[in-house]
Amino acid sequence: MGFKAGNRSDHLAWRLGGWLAQLAFSILILVLIVFVLTQVAPGDAARLRLGPRASQEEVDVLRKQLGLDQNILVQFGSYVGRLARADLGTSINGEPVSEVIRQRIDKTWWLLVGTSVFSLALSFPLAWLSAYYRDRAIDHVIRFAVLVALFMPVFWIGFLLIRFLALPTGWFPVAGLGSSPMELLRSLVLPCLTGAIAMAPILVRSLRSSLIEVISADYVTVARSLGIRGSALLFRHILRNALGPTIALFSLNVGYLFFGIVILETTFAIHGLGSQLVTASIKKDVNVVQAITIIFAAGVVLANSCGDLVVRWLDPRQGSR
Amino acid sequence: MMQTMRSNLHALFTLRERGSGKIAVGYAIIGLFVFTAMAAPWITTGEPARQDLLNRLAFPSFAHPLGTDQLGRDVWTRLVYAIQLDFRIGILGMLLPAILGSLIGVASALSPHWLDAAISRLADIIISLPLFVFFLALAGLLGPGSDWGPFGPGELPILLGFTLLGWVVYARLLRTEMHRILAMEYIRAAITGGLPLHRVIIGHVMPNAVGQTLVYMCVDIGLAILSLATLSFLGAGVPLDRPELGGMISASRTVISSNWWLVAAPGAVLALMGTGLALIGDGLDDRLKP
Repeated sequence: MGFKAGNRSDHLAWRLGGWLAQLAFSILILVLIVFVLTQVAPGDAARLRLGPRASQEEVDVLRKQLGLDQNILVQFGSYVGRLARADLGTSINGEPVSEVIRQRIDKTWWLLVGTSVFSLALSFPLAWLSAYYRDRAIDHVIRFAVLVALFMPVFWIGFLLIRFLALPTGWFPVAGLGSSPMELLRSLVLPCLTGAIAMAPILVRSLRSSLIEVISADYVTVARSLGIRGSALLFRHILRNALGPTIALFSLNVGYLFFGIVILETTFAIHGLGSQLVTASIKKDVNVVQAITIIFAAGVVLANSCGDLVVRWLDPRQGSR
Repeated sequence: MMQTMRSNLHALFTLRERGSGKIAVGYAIIGLFVFTAMAAPWITTGEPARQDLLNRLAFPSFAHPLGTDQLGRDVWTRLVYAIQLDFRIGILGMLLPAILGSLIGVASALSPHWLDAAISRLADIIISLPLFVFFLALAGLLGPGSDWGPFGPGELPILLGFTLLGWVVYARLLRTEMHRILAMEYIRAAITGGLPLHRVIIGHVMPNAVGQTLVYMCVDIGLAILSLATLSFLGAGVPLDRPELGGMISASRTVISSNWWLVAAPGAVLALMGTGLALIGDGLDDRLKP
């Protein structure tokens, strides 16, 4: 299907509309989940804020202010309304949640970018070696290593790297992120390397099979028979076509990556959104938990959709399937 | 192509076909852990919580094969009891989602087209959300709770969470397999031959559809244990005073420069356990491939 240019399902506007509808639906679902989170949290939000010594009258007044005395549908409505106005409320300490997030989001962002770069830089060569030397010794070694790495806890890898790499050599700081650009880069190495080792098992396996598919594709055979070899074959014919599956795979695993970031921040004492989520959820700071989960979920949904669009743009065959 | 339920189970327990090497090594590793966990009262002090405050952070010795921790508790004993707890939660944390997901998958494959499509769209969306982040937030907010029947503190919320998140993979697996098999000739032949639908499904479709599910179940025990350890490390799993692999790593992190094996041992156990399970799954996969 889809040889005619004007085919309805191939129409750009049609596809964009479908994509937006899906995005809206995903975001609605996650707002609902996050709202449910706040409802099941035990204890009275007003009581939690004022502490155990506050009188019942004070608690009642705050309950009214927070709208906790209204029925649950009204509460959900006003919650969505506040979200639409980007009003995230205040934390238990009385600090605006938007301020808490503003202070921390850049650390999480650097970690996200760094881990993505390191993961690809580690996984792609491994997958390439494994696919190129398929069923030879090196392939078996890589596949076994990757299998073992799948079950190594992220934080454990981090602690071992700290103990056996960072402490003896003193090359990398073991906690926090530096402020100057050079220091920032230096302090990113260890957490990002840890994240890359944790992501490798997921990426290498699928990348290997899509690389094998590309290597044995007809157009590569044709290119070979035309005498194209070496880097021309690798870059123009193989890597270019392997890029789509790589991006698709990466965007599918962004959810896993985000959870990895939470663990990395806790392991390396980086004060970003992930470690804040952990401490806030244990302190039952509901507004902060809500805001951070929504940011993470929106990030994942957005990354998935962008990945999808890029993949279709790179390989138009995908769209007409 | 024809594989029956019996041959699927047969594949799990015979060692003379493709993939036998992997399965044998996997069984050896898992057997070792199961034996260690079952023999706990005889090969350890039997009291993972007993403190010996005069003997804190002791180096490995005959009395304490892995030394002691900050409270002077015997780490070998704690490790063995942690293997018990993690293995139990790992198996339950695989089984509950597998049952729920398989039921949904089968129901979805047999439903009218619109319902089938709706269920698989829902599964797509659920899988694309960062559910583990939600789960972490929820587990933290709810707290570990207390004992409930045979479950210790913190275990029930974890199992509930695993079930709510984990069913998606099983539902997808079984739905795809069911669709593949329902389209095959011999199924059409059986239906045309007048066999009642429920007998076609139970006798001919299901036995051939569960192969991939069995493979994933092996790996999934390891993943459930890994998730449990991670949640405990983040403070949203079982409380730190109970012996648990992730909790042990978390509790020893401050003494890593002097007593690094307190961190290394629980993680190595976890990686080895997962590898054993994955090898069984891999060997089974080799064997089930046509």
